[in-house]
Amino acid sequence: MNRGVGRAIALVLALALWGCKRETPAPTAGSEGGREPLRIAVIPKGTTHEFWKSVHAGAVKASRELGVEIVWKGPLKEDDLKQQIDLVQSFTAQGVSGIVLAPLNDKALVSSVKAAAGAKIPVVIFDSDLASEDHVSFVATDNRAAGKLGCAHLAQKVKDKGGAVVLRYQEGSASTNHREEGCLEALKAEGVKILSDNQYGGATTETAHKASESLLLAQGATDGKVAGVFTPNESTTFGMLRAVEKANLAGKLGFVGFDASDKLVAGVEGGAIDGLVLQDPFNMGYLAVKTMVSHLKGEKVDRRIDTGSKLVTRANMNEPAIKQLLRPELDQWLK
Amino acid sequence: MKQLSRAPWFGPLCAVLAVYALFALLAPQTFTRSANVLTMARQTVIVSLAAIGMTLVMIQGGIDLSVGSTVALTTVIVARTLDGGSGAWTAAAAGVALGACVGALNGLLVTGLRLLPFIVTLGTMSALRGAAKGLANEQKVDADPKGLDSLMALPGGAHGGFLLPTGVWVALALAVVFAAFVAYTRPGRHVVAVGSSLETARLCGVPVGRITLIVYVIAGAMAGLAGVMEFATLTVGDPTDSIGLELEVIAAVVIGGGSLSGGRGSVAGALLGALLLTEIKTGSTHVGLPNWVQEILTGAIILVAMALDRWREQGRGSG
Repeated sequence: MNRGVGRAIALVLALALWGCKRETPAPTAGSEGGREPLRIAVIPKGTTHEFWKSVHAGAVKASRELGVEIVWKGPLKEDDLKQQIDLVQSFTAQGVSGIVLAPLNDKALVSSVKAAAGAKIPVVIFDSDLASEDHVSFVATDNRAAGKLGCAHLAQKVKDKGGAVVLRYQEGSASTNHREEGCLEALKAEGVKILSDNQYGGATTETAHKASESLLLAQGATDGKVAGVFTPNESTTFGMLRAVEKANLAGKLGFVGFDASDKLVAGVEGGAIDGLVLQDPFNMGYLAVKTMVSHLKGEKVDRRIDTGSKLVTRANMNEPAIKQLLRPELDQWLK
Repeated sequence: MKQLSRAPWFGPLCAVLAVYALFALLAPQTFTRSANVLTMARQTVIVSLAAIGMTLVMIQGGIDLSVGSTVALTTVIVARTLDGGSGAWTAAAAGVALGACVGALNGLLVTGLRLLPFIVTLGTMSALRGAAKGLANEQKVDADPKGLDSLMALPGGAHGGFLLPTGVWVALALAVVFAAFVAYTRPGRHVVAVGSSLETARLCGVPVGRITLIVYVIAGAMAGLAGVMEFATLTVGDPTDSIGLELEVIAAVVIGGGSLSGGRGSVAGALLGALLLTEIKTGSTHVGLPNWVQEILTGAIILVAMALDRWREQGRGSG
């Protein structure tokens, strides 16, 4: 009887394993002969969102170029903190060569990363920072620079026309806060008057839309008293876009937002949005794995690595590099 | 041997060993490392604790869908208590007490309103999740764990010495306590009686209402303790934590020989069921399976284990 149980389970497992392959690269000429290839665990915050697919593709590109093996494994449920902690522990116990991690929380992952470092497994953090000294490097968008990039463009648009408003995203969100600060610096540097910078859009598109409407009303945007607006993420940008369209201000108001979705890109095409600042998730995945490999080979790596951001405007949106960001072709890496 | 193979935990034990052997073959260098076995034991604690309580509830003929929400609410309460200046022990006690109160609420609703436990706990599942989010202001609550995190830390550091993390010992000890409770105490036998046939139990003079209440209070307290362990792992209070945990817990109990129609269940079996789920999870990570394959695999293994168990039951009936 108990042999029956074992056999049946083994059969199921064997069937499940059949047909899925690991991302093992062909060994390159450069890898030190005879030694096992490096095996690097890459742990994103989730696996189904477009953003993480691009990160995955970038990581695969690095693994193929450098002749290392990557194991791509995120929490089963998108954004599940406990499962992410379990994964870090599990890879630590497994003794992988290194762990590349996008932490879901800046404190909760600290002790697991410390334990990994204690077991001589180096950790590279990417996308979001960790309140720790135990990781080798932090590879992510420099959000302050990204905010500056966007608002330098906005400042050119509105310079002699009037003041600007900044709709913030949410209290306690570090990445967007840095974008807002970068933006304000750029606007002030160009001498643009800040009409409002203390309103928050909140977590959803719905709340961002309401906040946008009342902000535009309060500042007298329909009477031409506002020359430009900046929004620091997808939901605030979309909420603002709708509010601007409703108030018949599309095209009359300088508008720079953040992140891309089909509707936002259509907004750029239609002229309602003057620019969108985009992160580069593909490059993030690529550089994170590359940084880990450099560290494992004994090279010195920087504590902080910027993965860059790009400004998309109506003028440049058909350039190949921008197109790749807007509609990444991931199939060659993920198949 | 025949005696042994009749124990309710015998089937799950075979499954645990078979899956272990399989992953040991597929990932020989990593899966059998002692560090990995330790990590698996540690990662089974939370489901195990909740499964001990759920086993009692299911033997009694009920079900508790509010486990995941209770765990999340407890992590928030523990974080808030620590943040308010209390020590680790007070915070842990507050967490378990909160769980027991939630259990009492479930029990009173089941006995008082005579509603089906499925409906009652479906309601409290949603209500408690909302309470957790409200209490946490809809974000994660940071708190200095004040040593509470050592409950789930691997030994070897300052707190080492007993080979396994404290949390694992706690779960094992409580499993022994509640297995003995069901097998050897009068209220324990009453729980089985109520689950086997409520009317017969009532006619025999079993205090059905009181037994039901006790069972839900125990289950709630165990979920609270699981929440304390969850906080020890996370070190933050997370109101969105453990969504769907109740299903994993129910799966563990059912793999371990529990029945959704009551009267049957084994604490030891449930622990093995929980271990089986962790094995599949960890093994998939070691072999490098994508998430979607792992999910299909988990479902398939549960179904196969159940089908074989049913087949064994029938074999026993006719033989």
